[in-house]
Amino acid sequence: MTSYERLLAAINGDFPDRPPVAPEIFGITARLNGYRISQYVTNGRIIAGSQLKAREAIGYDILFAFADLSVEAEALGCTLRYEDDAYPSVNEHILQNVEDVKGLKLPDPLKDGRMPVVIESCRRLRESAGNECVIAACVMGPVSIASQIMGLEDFLYQLVDNPDGINQVLDFTEEVAISYGRALIRAGAHCPVVFDPVASPAVIPPSLFVHYEARRLKRMYDSFRDEGSRISWISIAGATQKIIPYFKKTGINLATIDYVVPIREAFKLADNIALNGNLKPYSFVSCSPAEMKEEVRRCLMEAEGKGNYIIGSGCEVPVESDIENIKAVVEAARDFKY
Amino acid sequence: MKRETEIHQLIKAVVDGETKSAVELSERLLGSGFPVEGLIHEGLTAALRSLDAKCTNEEFNLLEIMLAGRSMMAVMDKVAAKYLPHSSTAEPAPGRTIVLGAIKGDIHELGKHVVKMLMKANGFRVIDLGKDVDPASFVKAAVVEGAGYIGVSSLITLTIPYIREIREIREILYKDGLPDIKVLAGGAAIQQARPDDLNVDYIAKDAFDAIHYLNSVGVGV
Repeated sequence: MTSYERLLAAINGDFPDRPPVAPEIFGITARLNGYRISQYVTNGRIIAGSQLKAREAIGYDILFAFADLSVEAEALGCTLRYEDDAYPSVNEHILQNVEDVKGLKLPDPLKDGRMPVVIESCRRLRESAGNECVIAACVMGPVSIASQIMGLEDFLYQLVDNPDGINQVLDFTEEVAISYGRALIRAGAHCPVVFDPVASPAVIPPSLFVHYEARRLKRMYDSFRDEGSRISWISIAGATQKIIPYFKKTGINLATIDYVVPIREAFKLADNIALNGNLKPYSFVSCSPAEMKEEVRRCLMEAEGKGNYIIGSGCEVPVESDIENIKAVVEAARDFKY
Repeated sequence: MKRETEIHQLIKAVVDGETKSAVELSERLLGSGFPVEGLIHEGLTAALRSLDAKCTNEEFNLLEIMLAGRSMMAVMDKVAAKYLPHSSTAEPAPGRTIVLGAIKGDIHELGKHVVKMLMKANGFRVIDLGKDVDPASFVKAAVVEGAGYIGVSSLITLTIPYIREIREIREILYKDGLPDIKVLAGGAAIQQARPDDLNVDYIAKDAFDAIHYLNSVGVGV
């Protein structure tokens, strides 16, 4: 089986030849290829080249077209603070009053900020990998984009104090996410992965996830499917048990779960959608390869031999991880028999 | 009985983040002769305990804690302060003073703000160094302010590479002959690490866990 076939088999509920391995491997591929993170996040050729070489060397089953979490916010006009060898982050918010959202312009994915960088990485990845491996492009969810353009503190207070205004902002950020996600698919991504860290129950109560986020996610995945995506993938970190039951209704067929969510419990809550997780990201830094293999066996045991379990990490594999630990995860997957 | 009901309503208003009614209830209580110490201990501290219990049950979310914190601070600033004119000039002991900051490379401050708010509500003196704080600055501020603790935050997993900077704080403390200042760390990125990984005394699961730790260690008291 190719990596693409393996991942799709798991998502569709068929048994792959072995459990697919799809941890969130982003900036570490730059390190492995001798680039600084600042070079990686600003150059589509470097993203694609680093992703392809790292996968070739290690043998996992996914390619990511992803720069950092601030691409959408920057394209909307936020200024970022750039680091030499770390990810940039939002430095200045652009929305002081929610009413001003009417004056914001929808970014053009082919022109604005670094969206064209990620678009280029999609194009290059697809040209090189074709349909041999799933190319997943990352899109921020509406709640997180809103919190970035408003500032998290203001966003959270307004969520309660000014629900009508917040709905206007979220309608806009949903549109941003849809238009960027569709552009990434047109450029070659097989699917977008929606990251929405601020929609995590660690930040907002599950009732507000249902109220503000669920219907928006459904419209996003519907739109991505119209554009040709066959994978509706969500990645929200933290203890997501209380929102997992809503995933299937929004059309999600693959969810990444964090290390604090037990795999067995997540499968029960998820009503059989495919799950990817729940290796602890920091273990890629702090553990030995033998310990990583043991961790993978623990995950596989908790997944009880389900074909729709995908080995992964609940959040990004840290850029300073030991490459031998990622190799160990792939080896443990190869050793496993259903 | 009526007073008990009013205090119960105050606790609920604070926990639910209903700032307006929390302020009104407090004004009514204090206006009718209820002592401000009672308002703080039976009302605000009880509200904190209730939030703490929610946290322990893993029902914690940042938003609800922020809303409750906002209500609590409004009661303190708008109402209780009028009845406590000299409280802020009290001399705090090292065991009640902490230097807080987001470590170098991290510009996320919200989690730290929440911790600061809750620590203040618990009677700690908090020296907030802000964001992107150099390891040496934590130590310098702790010495200048006579703090017994240094609290370091690193909010998101993507800042994991900066965790190693926290280790430098301990090295500077030892070099300067200040081994008694306790270092605690917190934030989503940090919770995956062990105290040994960071060379800190404690890794707090959340704001309340940090307060429990401070109360249990009692530096210099």
